Amino acid sequence: MVAPSLDSMISDPNRTIRLTAAAAVVLFLAACGAKQVVVQGNFPKPLMEQTPLTLGVVYTESFANHEIYDEAAGREETDWLVKTGDAQVEFWDTLLGGMFTNIVHIDSHDALHAVEQDIDAVIIPYVEDLQYTIPLHTNVKVYEIWMKYRFRLVTTDAIHEHSDGELTYDPNQSIADWTLSAYGKTPTAFLQSDEEAVNLAAVVALRDAGANFATSFHRVPAVIEWLETRNAITEVPAAALNGDSSGTPDEPEGASS
Amino acid sequence: MNRALTTSRHLIGNKRSLGYGSALIVLFLFLQGCVTATVDEMTFLEPTEGIGDSSVVILGRRHAPDYETEFDFIECIGDHIRRGDNSITVLHELEFINMMYPWFEPRTAPLRPQDIDRLLMQEPVANQFTDIKLEYMIWIDGSTIETNSSGSMTCGVGPGGAGCFGFGTWGNASDYEATIWDFTDQTEVGRISANTSGQSYMPAVVVPIPIIAPVQGTACDSLGDQLLDYLSATR
Repeated sequence: MVAPSLDSMISDPNRTIRLTAAAAVVLFLAACGAKQVVVQGNFPKPLMEQTPLTLGVVYTESFANHEIYDEAAGREETDWLVKTGDAQVEFWDTLLGGMFTNIVHIDSHDALHAVEQDIDAVIIPYVEDLQYTIPLHTNVKVYEIWMKYRFRLVTTDAIHEHSDGELTYDPNQSIADWTLSAYGKTPTAFLQSDEEAVNLAAVVALRDAGANFATSFHRVPAVIEWLETRNAITEVPAAALNGDSSGTPDEPEGASS
Repeated sequence: MNRALTTSRHLIGNKRSLGYGSALIVLFLFLQGCVTATVDEMTFLEPTEGIGDSSVVILGRRHAPDYETEFDFIECIGDHIRRGDNSITVLHELEFINMMYPWFEPRTAPLRPQDIDRLLMQEPVANQFTDIKLEYMIWIDGSTIETNSSGSMTCGVGPGGAGCFGFGTWGNASDYEATIWDFTDQTEVGRISANTSGQSYMPAVVVPIPIIAPVQGTACDSLGDQLLDYLSATR
């Protein structure tokens, strides 16, 4: 009973052809499929004096599910899907949690009502722009990512619920509105895979965003004014490279977005 | 008798493999490309009694847009110092950067010893520095680059086997400078620079034979030796 089936596996020409064809299809699909990276990293808690504030944090759906999709422009290129949403939320939770006495997630108007009396303000981060370079013409796996964030600090009264359930805010009740940039580059050229290299570049960019935020938050003029009214001024050293302009290379010409 | 014979055969076998091993080592040494190295040193306030139970951290500069000091180079120097004098506590770079986040990121790292003061304004940062008993902060700035490359090589695979034919050559140059900060006095107490360069070759007649010039390794050893001389009480 066993012998004939073994024999057919070895010598049946149709079966061999089918197996070869299946293997070829799998290889073809593997070569043409999009490369996908779900950004993951270990993010350290910031080592700094906590500002005595309780902040509500709204992660909009576009922020919490943030991803970059890059469609291949030619046959030699590959589609890329880089999901940064989970890492963004994990990172900003860790950073804001270390910077302020307390942070509270607000994902609905009801959740806001429940904690309204306890929180000083609500912060809403957005990824406004993202650009990157892919080493198409070199074998070196060094990727670069630039991110531009917009932060809005608003009063609790400014938050409203849109008909689709998404929280929005009234710009007239905004306390401060500012942008900051972040840059990340794969720190080593010896990684095994492109996915690993992209992940590392994204993690470096997130860390840079955190460093920029931690050193610039207490320097935003509108934030200073608001902190003064709350008696919550905390001395934070300025970045050695003086904030945004240095340390973050200019966006290269031709960088993708 | 038989036992003695077996033993002597075994010895002969060992001698033979020892001979092959030595020949391989000699061949390997011979096949290493040549490297020229220049080391400049200017240090003062040397800790003649050593650094005791204090610690040292070696950090790479990564704020320039066109190059970054390699993490593995920093690790190489740290290992060199630990091997040379195991009484010196050299903190691991990445652990230190994470422990101090966000104050030693490329954007925020202090550029002058005087900048340490602004870090110590933050109580948690000051406490952390006290806990790790940091005495010296050593900044390494520089990188290794490929200076030239030429030649060509063709490889092929056939039913009878595979092989390569051709010749390739490339040059590397390392340029690093170590700046030593006395953390307690918040002053710069020394600068050591190492410039190395070398040419590597890869001839191939069926099998490619790489003759690599250890340019970065020599720079690491040169800087490591000088730093060890400075920090160690036993040298």
